Amino acid sequence: MPDLFANYEHGRFYDEMFASPGKARPHYRRLYERFALMESMGELLDRQRTADQTFIDRGVTFTVYSDTAGTEKIFPFDLIPRIVPAHEWAHLERGLTQRMQALNLFLADIYSEQRILKEGVIPREMVESSKDFRPEMLGCKIARDLYVHINGSDLIRDEAGVYRVLEDNLRTPSGVSYMLENRQVMKRVFPTMLRDYRVRPVENYTNDLLNLLLHLAPAHVPDPTVVLLTPGVFNSAYFEHSFLARQMGIEIVEGGDLVVENDKVYMRRTDGLAPVHVIYRRIDDSFLDPTIFRKDSLLGVPGLVNAYRKGNVALCNPIGTGVADDKAMYYYVPKMIKFYLGQEALLPNVETYLSSNDGELQFILDNLPKLVVKSVNEAGGYGMLVGPHSTQAQIEDFRAKIIANPRNFIAQPTIGLSRAPSVCDNATIEGRHIDLRPYILNGETIKIAPGGLTRVALRKGSLVVNSSQGGGSKDTWVLNDDITNPPVPQPEKIIV
Amino acid sequence: MLSRVANLVYWMARYLERAENTARIVDVNAQLVLDLQSRQAADDPKSWEPLVYVTGDDEEFFELNGETVSERAVVEFMLFDRRNPSSLLSCIGFARENARCIRDQLSSEVWETLNTFYLKLKGDDYARYAQLGSSEYLNRIKSQIQLFYGVAESMMPRGGLWWFFELGRHLERADNVSRILDVKYYMLLPDLHAVGSALDMIQWASVLRSCSGFEAFRRSRRGQLNLERVVDYLLRDNEFPRSILFSINAASQALDQITAHASHLDNNPASQHLEELIAELEMIDVPEVIADGLHEFLDDVQMKISGIHEAVQATFVDYPTASAKVLA
Repeated sequence: MPDLFANYEHGRFYDEMFASPGKARPHYRRLYERFALMESMGELLDRQRTADQTFIDRGVTFTVYSDTAGTEKIFPFDLIPRIVPAHEWAHLERGLTQRMQALNLFLADIYSEQRILKEGVIPREMVESSKDFRPEMLGCKIARDLYVHINGSDLIRDEAGVYRVLEDNLRTPSGVSYMLENRQVMKRVFPTMLRDYRVRPVENYTNDLLNLLLHLAPAHVPDPTVVLLTPGVFNSAYFEHSFLARQMGIEIVEGGDLVVENDKVYMRRTDGLAPVHVIYRRIDDSFLDPTIFRKDSLLGVPGLVNAYRKGNVALCNPIGTGVADDKAMYYYVPKMIKFYLGQEALLPNVETYLSSNDGELQFILDNLPKLVVKSVNEAGGYGMLVGPHSTQAQIEDFRAKIIANPRNFIAQPTIGLSRAPSVCDNATIEGRHIDLRPYILNGETIKIAPGGLTRVALRKGSLVVNSSQGGGSKDTWVLNDDITNPPVPQPEKIIV
Repeated sequence: MLSRVANLVYWMARYLERAENTARIVDVNAQLVLDLQSRQAADDPKSWEPLVYVTGDDEEFFELNGETVSERAVVEFMLFDRRNPSSLLSCIGFARENARCIRDQLSSEVWETLNTFYLKLKGDDYARYAQLGSSEYLNRIKSQIQLFYGVAESMMPRGGLWWFFELGRHLERADNVSRILDVKYYMLLPDLHAVGSALDMIQWASVLRSCSGFEAFRRSRRGQLNLERVVDYLLRDNEFPRSILFSINAASQALDQITAHASHLDNNPASQHLEELIAELEMIDVPEVIADGLHEFLDDVQMKISGIHEAVQATFVDYPTASAKVLA
């Protein structure tokens, strides 16, 4: 019998499927046996083609819009699911719930009493210098005391298999439509295996999201109207916006469709102005309202912020959440958990050094060739030094920048993300690095869809899972029951 | 429905209808040229020139092509030139762009029909047109547009989206038919004494064919094919779906559906203008209109259609926020 995993290279990273070469972990054994039934790679590749075609048929595409041709492409999808045993998920759920509670309390505090600053747990200038801190929101009462509603935390597993939070995404995290569509495709491609595994369903996500949005509506409105605000059809996430709007049965609007009159928000319909009570916005704070934030924004709605401050309309996420997912603030999340909840963080951060801390600055400067240095105010891989992959000149350039402005940088060790078997180049199964983005909803209660978006770096050796860098995704199977119950690997030390 | 969405589907319909009429006009002219028989007439650039005037884009054409009028220049301009916003390719491109913006509200069959058509069309050029022959090529184009209408008609729920589609399509059709009639009359029959000649008959037949009305005309009205009868037929036949009156009536019915559940929009300016135009078309005396100048009359009809369009925009799309009705 041919073994599709015969040439699988285990590597020095934590492997999600194999405990050691040829020995599948208990929760992967059934998949291993299922794959052993396949005659050859050919059968797997047939299923891959079915999956790809299903994405195209369902319109799960993004448009390459550089010319008028409008080529539709699919986000690469890898057939081999990432399987999370029940006890591991229970651990993640506890950790993410705790983190969400602390982040919500932090944001509530920062925009009101600022106890955490007054007690010196976080330096005041760290908060006030963040470009996503919105002083306009100080003292503003927010619906239901929910200061953040949706978080898409990025989780990784290190070489020892410890789950760690790499970053939080508290503004407009994307990708949830892929979590939902990946499952739909897997139902077609591996129906039996999906059933045999008793995989927990993720379909409730849109329902939970709609309930959350309705929960935010001003209390006196009996039958509130919820809309999704998109930057428009040219946005790369437009598919997701229209997908979610359709799933929830709400209107998808652009800034120009909304108007504010007497601090109330309306949408322009052919028969007149219809009141809007809750806006699930997929545009950043700075573009929301040209009268308050960026004056050049054509995407926003003049007057929206005042309507929001008066409590006539709810925004999801609220304005100003970005201050808590700033890279320097990330360093302080374990301290927030301690400060507000009196608990140790259940899910550790990745070890992080802050160059504004005296002791840590020296450590960073001494170890630049080994570290990843990130600029606090930039995203998307800009202003970043990957020590092991940099020239001496680049390192020296960063050294000067860090010394000139230590507050602007953090450093982390280079982490070897865990790997999972993936179909590579339509020919072989090889280990590829992955991460996991679960979606945490903070409404009447905290709800986490059992699963998330597992992103996979399909390029050999690459640690970058972003779709712009050759990344793809996998379906994430959270199991209902444990097959066996080995303990979740715990970190050797918790960085506080 | 959202005003922006209504406007997108309204324009999508207008672009499609305009594209179809462009294909019809080119097709009929190509056939007409063959009917002229005399070699000299067929090569005469004059036989292609009227097309340039039909769309009202003559200035644009002469700017791009100089004074040379040839079949190739006219066909390229009318079918494939993206610099001409009314060319077939431009219209289908705009229609598809609008459809893309409201894709989540169209069924996949509707979107795919249009998208596939556009992607195929944009690879075409004059060489392809000449290779297949005008008749074969343009028949394929017309079938593609008819296919889209067929799919849309059987798939789209009869809600706001559909009625704005109908409104746009029929206003555009009424406008296009008036232009076809105007140009043939204006360009081909400057001299009323030529009435009744063999050439005259051929040309009036071609006007009817542009609107797919030749056979229908023959069935519904016996007797001579002449100016008066053709004008009467295309202006206000009650049964022929491409007559101006029929199209305006269909637009008016679509508007009634749009405002059916909004009593504050009863008697809005757009429906008032539509009613006025319907009454006028029903009342006119055709021989009198011709005697007073058909061109002037058609010009006036086009102005009125444009007035209806503006009223639609002002009532449903660009209305001032301050005076708008706030819904419960």
